[in-house]
Amino acid sequence: MASARGNWAARLVRNVLLALLPVWLVWSLLTPAYNRFLLVSARNLVRLTESPSVTELPRRDEHFAYVQRLDFPPAKSLVHSFRVTDLHFHFVLLGALFLGVPGIPWRVRLANFGWACLVTVFFDIFLLFFYVKFVYATQLGAWSLAHYGAFARNFWGLGKHLLDLPFKLGLPLLLWAGFYARMLLDPAA
Amino acid sequence: MARRKETPVSKAPAVPQEPFWRRNRREITFLVLFVVLLGGGFTLVSVNWINDHAIEPFTAGIARLSGFILNLLGQQVTMRGTIISSPHFAVNIRNGCNGIEAMLIFLAAVLAFPARWRSRLAGLALGILAIQVVNLIRVVALFLTGVYFPKIFDTSHTVIWQTIVILSGVLLWIYWANRFARPGEPAA
Repeated sequence: MASARGNWAARLVRNVLLALLPVWLVWSLLTPAYNRFLLVSARNLVRLTESPSVTELPRRDEHFAYVQRLDFPPAKSLVHSFRVTDLHFHFVLLGALFLGVPGIPWRVRLANFGWACLVTVFFDIFLLFFYVKFVYATQLGAWSLAHYGAFARNFWGLGKHLLDLPFKLGLPLLLWAGFYARMLLDPAA
Repeated sequence: MARRKETPVSKAPAVPQEPFWRRNRREITFLVLFVVLLGGGFTLVSVNWINDHAIEPFTAGIARLSGFILNLLGQQVTMRGTIISSPHFAVNIRNGCNGIEAMLIFLAAVLAFPARWRSRLAGLALGILAIQVVNLIRVVALFLTGVYFPKIFDTSHTVIWQTIVILSGVLLWIYWANRFARPGEPAA
């Protein structure tokens, strides 16, 4: 029994390591398109919370973008540059983990991976939304102080910190455990 | 027209199915505990006092150890706080590069998983040590990347090594949970 368990874990580690490179390649190829999708989706989400709609998230290149406010003077309109690709590299981890589970038919693996991707896409849009709000609340000097109180600055700051570090990095494990924790909790199953 | 002879199907007595949360109680408990511990751990390390008195000295220790290894590799680096510098390149090790994230994810997962405390403590000690070894390799490799392949430093820094360090924590946890945690046994 212990040996079967060990074999399963060893096969999982091997599969995940083998899946890492192909998944990384696919993610690299899809990144420019996904960055565009993320920027448009997050901009629309931010605009739901402001009136008039002044937020733009223009691309600088394949990986970088700006947070831009249309109500700022033209010289200062590109207010903050950030690397969009850094927001979603957890897809590599997610793909390798979901595709590497041994003892599960490929169809089921892919279906579970699809659901996990869907959750991750929503998470990424939400993370970028928080990132823009964090920039507005804490990164624009006197403008931030004039428009956001202490509570708001802490709320957006802590929210961005938690989403950008623990939950962005922990999300693949969380989703994997959501689908496969049973295999660890009840190895007989 | 021939009539098909139908054989009566004996119906098993309907067993009332338990609600979703009861059927998956252990999984849900694990996931909720994991999220709470993860969020709590990261909130804790974001407190200024803890950052200044625990995280920064810890990160400075990583910088010293990495600098020592880089000097063994002939890089002639000097260390000042969390900064490692040489005539060719310099890095400042900050949160996100000190392995704390992977450690906290591993810690939250181990503590949330049902297991004996002895298994948990052994897993934590060995797992955290392994994560820090991987992180040390990351810092040294990144410094060398900055010196010899500066064009791929950004991608290497944020995507490749971040993924490797987090993945090492995740795989260590899965291995521990599968091999050593024995969730069927009562937690001590």
